[in-house]
Amino acid sequence: MDNATNFISIEGLKFFGKVNASISHEIKNILAIISETAGFLHDLTDLAKQGEDLKLSLLESCSESIAEDIQRGFDTIKQMNQFAHSVDVPIKEIKIFETVELTVKLSNFLSFSSKVEIENGDKEDKPVLTCPFLMESLIYQILLFVYESTGPDGHVLIQFDSQKKDGTSLIISTPTNFILDGFPTPDIQRAAKFLGFELNINSSNQKLDIWVPYVSKEIVALEKELQINLKS
Amino acid sequence: MANDKMIRLLMVDDEIKFLETITKRLKLKLFEITSATNGNEAIEAAKKGRFDVAVIDLQMPGIDGVQVLEILKKTHKYLEVIILSGHATIETAVTCTKLGAFKILEKPCDFDKLVDAIKESYEKRLKKKFEHDQERMKQMEALALGQSPLGILKGLAKMDKG
Repeated sequence: MDNATNFISIEGLKFFGKVNASISHEIKNILAIISETAGFLHDLTDLAKQGEDLKLSLLESCSESIAEDIQRGFDTIKQMNQFAHSVDVPIKEIKIFETVELTVKLSNFLSFSSKVEIENGDKEDKPVLTCPFLMESLIYQILLFVYESTGPDGHVLIQFDSQKKDGTSLIISTPTNFILDGFPTPDIQRAAKFLGFELNINSSNQKLDIWVPYVSKEIVALEKELQINLKS
Repeated sequence: MANDKMIRLLMVDDEIKFLETITKRLKLKLFEITSATNGNEAIEAAKKGRFDVAVIDLQMPGIDGVQVLEILKKTHKYLEVIILSGHATIETAVTCTKLGAFKILEKPCDFDKLVDAIKESYEKRLKKKFEHDQERMKQMEALALGQSPLGILKGLAKMDKG
């Protein structure tokens, strides 16, 4: 699978499936909460018909819960839509913070995900010429690797360092033990290579540094390859 | 149909809002409920309390629903387990059935269907326990024939070990 087109087709399809499954799980959970809350309102109405006192505070909390979960559903669908559109154009200029934020949200649908805090010290969200879908896939795989180490109760911090002119460093760290054994996996390495990203592991100070160039020769080559393969 | 007041239920789901709401509704149906938000909590609760039926979600952080099902079925002979999940696939349904799950329900699930499944599983539990008790009674009767009191006690101990 040295060819980028094959890699994106096969690994990308796996990633797409994984994200879709986690989104559908999230939507089912939201609908289950709304359904049970509506059912509970119905139960309360039945009790009131039988002469029981109807507590207004209960009605209020039920309606608030329904409204909250409808909003959660809207947010999920918005993220799903954003993700679906990341395959519209194979290579394009994206905003790095926005892309990382979306990928974190998608990864947080997984039950074993850790709590992630994204700290954007930069005033502007830097544009990067990249393959958005492959970049999301790479960051997602890295986050999954980190979550396996930190666990569902763990905390992960993502920071951006844009001091250099030609790119941004994406720094992933955790306050606890960061087990990086087996990192990067061959798939993570390949995706990073096709995107022109560099992965630097600093196990002594518990940090993972992903160098994201604004434009790389690898991405220019990938654009050419994809143009040829998508036409044929 | 089983007496609802008798059913002791263990509800396991990491979606806290769902767990809270369904617990409220099931309490109105007079079930006695203990809730757990993850696999470890569920296993600990099952060690401490006595339950007739467990309703378990599949995808949870840490020990997942399939593992919880496997552990509970091994450690609690008569406990019936219902899987209630938004993440059930044919493969997981087959696995859960092989591990002894009574029923697999998909979220969002019709509440009455869930209540019926709980009652049916409780009846299955009662029947299984009754059959086992009958069998034990027969064995005890056979053991008691022509035995001294000490012989009966030794025989009972041997039967329990077996």
